Amino acid sequence: MSTSAPASRSVRDALYEAPGPRTRRRVRIATAISLILVVAALAAIGYRFYITGQFAPRYWTFFAKATTWKFLLQGFAGTVRVALTAGAIALALGLLLMLGRISHVKALSTVCRIVTDFFRSLPSLLLIYFFFLIVPQYGIKMSSFWMLTLPVALAASGVLAEVFRAGVNAVPKGQVEAALSLGMSPLRTTFKIVLPQAIRFVIPSLISQLVVVVKDTTVAYVVSYPDLMQNARVLITNYDALVSVYFTIAIIYILINYAINQASIYVSHRLGVKIIR
Amino acid sequence: MGLTELLSLYGQNYLQALLTTWLMTIESFALVMIIAVGITVMRVSPMRPLRVAGDLYVQVFRNIPGVALLIIVVYALPSLRVVLDYRVCVVVTTVLLGSAFGSENFMSGINTVSAGQIEAARALGLSFSKILRRIVIPQALRSCVLPMTNLLIAVMLTTALGSQVPLNPTELTGVVSYVNTRVTGGILAFLISAIGYAGTALVIGAVGNRIDKKVRIYR
Repeated sequence: MSTSAPASRSVRDALYEAPGPRTRRRVRIATAISLILVVAALAAIGYRFYITGQFAPRYWTFFAKATTWKFLLQGFAGTVRVALTAGAIALALGLLLMLGRISHVKALSTVCRIVTDFFRSLPSLLLIYFFFLIVPQYGIKMSSFWMLTLPVALAASGVLAEVFRAGVNAVPKGQVEAALSLGMSPLRTTFKIVLPQAIRFVIPSLISQLVVVVKDTTVAYVVSYPDLMQNARVLITNYDALVSVYFTIAIIYILINYAINQASIYVSHRLGVKIIR
Repeated sequence: MGLTELLSLYGQNYLQALLTTWLMTIESFALVMIIAVGITVMRVSPMRPLRVAGDLYVQVFRNIPGVALLIIVVYALPSLRVVLDYRVCVVVTTVLLGSAFGSENFMSGINTVSAGQIEAARALGLSFSKILRRIVIPQALRSCVLPMTNLLIAVMLTTALGSQVPLNPTELTGVVSYVNTRVTGGILAFLISAIGYAGTALVIGAVGNRIDKKVRIYR
């Protein structure tokens, strides 16, 4: 995020005085040396691929086949299905948890706080084990889709509740007081005055939280749900090409998440609000 | 299976798992801090290739899913003839992921210092290293406390990746699967681990908040 914010450039650059001729020369030399170091590091990685024979055509040619991409695309569709469903559930649940937490009913607010903090402080893998290993012990049968989607949604809902709360806190107190003094009920104030603004404040943050959801879906192989990662594993056994497939898949995930992050930055500029993490 | 039975049979495993998680978290977080500082120095250096490399590092490891990175470290690196111990693999993965976020925290800490302050310091005749030591770093560190607290918790949660490889002793998530392959532990088998994580996070959060209250700069 800081790479594209204009403010960061100014601090990065404000650190240095306008260089004189000698400093300019020194910076030029250091730049050249650092460039060589960076290139050397990349070359060393490339060399490792080369000497271990990972550039051999048999590891890469199947990427030219349409069936490979069709299969990966099916996996990607699975990832999208899980991510969007989990995201939608997490949005609703997160909003409910936040509303409960800011309510004036003490018991409700305490329960919601504990639930929020609980889900926020668990690794999503543990939640997946809960649905995969523990829930079936009670005779409840779930499809692999829900065994994956529910834990991802629960893990995200705790985080989203906190994001929503930050949005509510960003609405000026004076507005609430004004609404109450005009005779609006507290409930009406929350839904007509606070929430519409709070949600606007957190839209970019909600988009960037989608990255976490997409990352969490990659453990689909635990419950053998056919997502992008799981289909990649099938591809690996089919073509016996581990390194090339994993690196390609990793790059695909990085690009997807990078795109989501950029979208969130774009929206935050458009709306003129900051991204809360 | 009741709590007492579960604890008498597997209490030792849970205790060891909790200690393993704590130890891996501490090791990882220490390395995360060191590497994050290094990456941040690269990103604010006047050398463009270093800046680009630092930014690229952050973008890659911020956006890669933990499982994907772990699998690359565990299964793909041996094909490139880099073989690491399973536990080292988990720590390496956690450190790579965590350091990207750590560097982002440092960068936003640096960004809380206004450019005007640096210009003022320079106008007063402070040298570059003095500007860094007296103006930028103290303020950046103070405003980093809460984000770094959250990062420490995130690092702890990331070590749960250890459940995906054979570890001995296993960590707090893996132990749930270990116990459940032997007995039907029920919801308790999950809750013991969950409380281990949530309790640790609660303590880290409380300590972080306290430190933050002490050192925070109110603007």
